[in-house]
This record gives sequence, C-alpha cells and structure tokens, in this order.
Amino acid sequence: MIAVRGLQKSFGTARVLRGIDLDIADGEVVALIGRSGCGKTTLLRCINFLEEYDTGEIRLDGEELWYRTTPGGARRRVSEAEARRMRQQMGIVFQQYNLFPHMTVLDNVLLGPRFAQRVSVAEAEALGRRLLARVGLEAKMSGYPAQLSGGQQQRVAIARALAMRPKVLLLDEITSALDPELVGEVEDVIRSLLSDRIMMVLVTHALGFAREVAHRIAYLADGAIVELGSPADILDRPKDPSLKEFLRRVR
Amino acid sequence: MPPGSLALLAQGAVVSLLLAAAAIVGGTLLAVLLATIAFARFAAVRAVYRVYVYVVRGTPLLVLALLLFYAMPALDLRTGPYIAGTLVLIVYTGALFAEVFRGGVLAIPRPQWESARSLGLPPLAMFRKIVAPLVTRYTLPPYVNVCVMSVKASSVLSIISVWELTLAAREIIERTFAVFTILGLAAAFYFVMCFGIDRLGRLLERHLALKGFAGERA
Repeated sequence: MIAVRGLQKSFGTARVLRGIDLDIADGEVVALIGRSGCGKTTLLRCINFLEEYDTGEIRLDGEELWYRTTPGGARRRVSEAEARRMRQQMGIVFQQYNLFPHMTVLDNVLLGPRFAQRVSVAEAEALGRRLLARVGLEAKMSGYPAQLSGGQQQRVAIARALAMRPKVLLLDEITSALDPELVGEVEDVIRSLLSDRIMMVLVTHALGFAREVAHRIAYLADGAIVELGSPADILDRPKDPSLKEFLRRVR
Repeated sequence: MPPGSLALLAQGAVVSLLLAAAAIVGGTLLAVLLATIAFARFAAVRAVYRVYVYVVRGTPLLVLALLLFYAMPALDLRTGPYIAGTLVLIVYTGALFAEVFRGGVLAIPRPQWESARSLGLPPLAMFRKIVAPLVTRYTLPPYVNVCVMSVKASSVLSIISVWELTLAAREIIERTFAVFTILGLAAAFYFVMCFGIDRLGRLLERHLALKGFAGERA
C-alpha cells in the first residue's frame, strides 16, 4: 500500500501542494481529478520523485521513500542508488508516451528489466513478448515507436512500465494526447489490468473512465484534496461547491 | 608538373589524414570526458569545463601549436613536432567536439530523461542506452563539420615542422617554383579528403536515422 502524509510542495512562492494525505490500498485504483493546475499531476510526479517535495512523506509498503531524516533532524534525499531501487517498484506512463525513439518496441520494453533489474536477456525477452502480446502489439515488436499510432505507442509505454513488475502503476493523463478513436484501445488495456489487482493512481479528465475503473476518486483543488470518495459519491453526490462547479463544466 | 611531386604530395596527404584521424579519435574521447564534466553536479567541476573551452576556443590553433612546440622541450619532453602537433590537434578538436556533444545532451527532451529515470536505469546504462545513441544522432552533422575542419587544421602544423601535405607542398614549391600547380594539387588533395569524410558522415547519418519519421532522409 501507499501512504502519503502531509505532502507539501512549492514552486517559488506558488504552493502547488498544501498538505496531501492519501492512502492507496493494495489492489486499489484511485483517480485524481480536478482543474488543470490543481496539483494532481504534481502529486503523481512526487510519488515517483520526478518532482521533489518540501515536507511530508510517502511510504510504499511501510518503507519511507525518497527522503531520510538524519538523527540531527535534517531532511536529506536518499542516494541515487536508493532512489533507483525505489523507482523500480513503480511504473509511470506519461501523457506523451515518451518511448525511446532509437529503440525497437521490444527494446523499449526490455530496457528496464535488462539494465535496471539485471534480468537475463532470455528472461527479459520472454517477459517483453508476453507483455506486448498482452497489450496486443506482439506483431509490432521489431517496429520503431514513430512507426506506430499514438494509441499503439501508449500501449507500448504501458507494457514498458509493467515490465518492471511494479507494485503501483502511475498513469498521467494517458489518453489526453490521443485522437478520440484511439482512446478506447488504451482504456481497454487498463481495464484488463484490473484483474491483476495492481495499485493504480491515475490522473485523468475522462470522468466516465474514472467512474468505471477507480475504486475511489480524489478531487483536488488548489493543491489540496477537497473531496475523496467512491465514484458515485464524487460524481453523483458531490458536496463541495467547487467540485459541483467543476463537474458542471466538464459535462 | 615536376616529376615525383604527386607521390610526395600523396605521402603528405596520408600524414595529414593520420593527424586528422588522431585528432578525431583522441578529440572525441577527450570531448566525451569534457562533456561529462560539463554536466557535473558540482559547480567547481563545471567551471573546469568552461575554462578549458574558453581558453582553447579563444586561442588561434597556430598560437597553441607554437606554444606547445616550444614548451615541450622546456618541460623536458623531447618528443618532437609530431607528438606536439598531434596533442595540440587533440586539445583543439576536443574543445570543439565537447561543445557539439554538450549541445546534443541539451537537446535531449526532458521527457526522455524522465522516462529513463523512472525506469531506475543506472548511470552507465543511461549513458550507453539513452544519452550516447541520442546525442550521436542529434550531433552527427556538426560533428562531421569538426572532423572536416580538423583535416584542414592539420595544415597549421607545418609551421612547427610537421611534415604533412602543406609542408610537402611548400618544399616542392621551393625546389620547383611551380606555385600554382602544386598549391592547386594540395588543395585538391585536401578537398578529396574532406569530401570523403563528408560522404562517410552522410552514410552514417542515413544508417543511424531514427526509423519511422517522415522525411528521415532529409
């Protein structure tokens, strides 16, 4: 499970996260929604330490991530090696897929297992093929990212993240950059992962999809979680006025 | 044309090409090291890079060559003009290549770094699998540019008595006074060498082109 406590972050004088508390249980899918600039993507990036944060802590299965407090009370980043080890427990998928353009699809998927986790070539390849088959792209294995559609690239990116055998999958608006007719194939892949009971945190504007796959939805505004509950509570029976307003605008 | 001069010029061209090859290989290795320093965590280390590039790039190659040539015996390094000349070329092209590579590293889009970081790739794998392949592709045209320039820059070493194409030409001219013929031939030799490097660069570019992008053979 993941436990986020009192997470705060500022960019200069702008406070982007003002004390986030969030628990994600094993096998749980949590969707983060809110206006652009509300801090939802920043929160996701903090969980993977692509952003540093100022105070607060994030724990994964009880282990504190990214920072250590010395006996003297100073807060210090963990070493690069430690951070790498921690990151390998998570997979992240970005809005713009971010595949490596100079590598084949299979090599993109293999990279993490081969060079970060030191899995043997044979084992990594078997894993890569299995995952690509799972996202329906085994046939494109030796193709290059730029030869694929956006939807296909995003499915490869999901396979690449899964190849790390992560405990949690972080999904950052993974369908926002796609043509509407390609959204479905990526959403289908995520649906198919639900039976694996892998933790997922997804930042999304697709409320219908969030309702369908998420166990809980967190609505963020101004860097804080304003309302947190089941999809039905958040989407059908919102209490907070700004959430009501947000839902009215989105629909 | 004075008899035997073509063979002499060809020999000189071979020496020039060897000097350039040493400058390219040595300079590239030096530049990889320098470019790594350019992105070091500590500002003091990064400053070493800047000072090196400013000094080397801000001084004429001719002056550097003379300086090193005269300094080496003083340093008790009696290695003669060839070693001094090769070293000075490496020092010079190293600074130019380093800036080319630094530009290439800066051109790697931030999301690519983030993808690589999120996989937890160790530094060496990050360099071998992501940084080096991308930088190679981004920087090939300016890299070839410096390679071509290093062939021509080797002619400066004739001043410190390195016998290469330009010095060979001057020797023949002193004996024969066939100024325009010989200099024209020397220029033709230089052109052929540079053109060859250009073509090699193009081939490599085509070979390394990222697959699947429209207009990849631009």
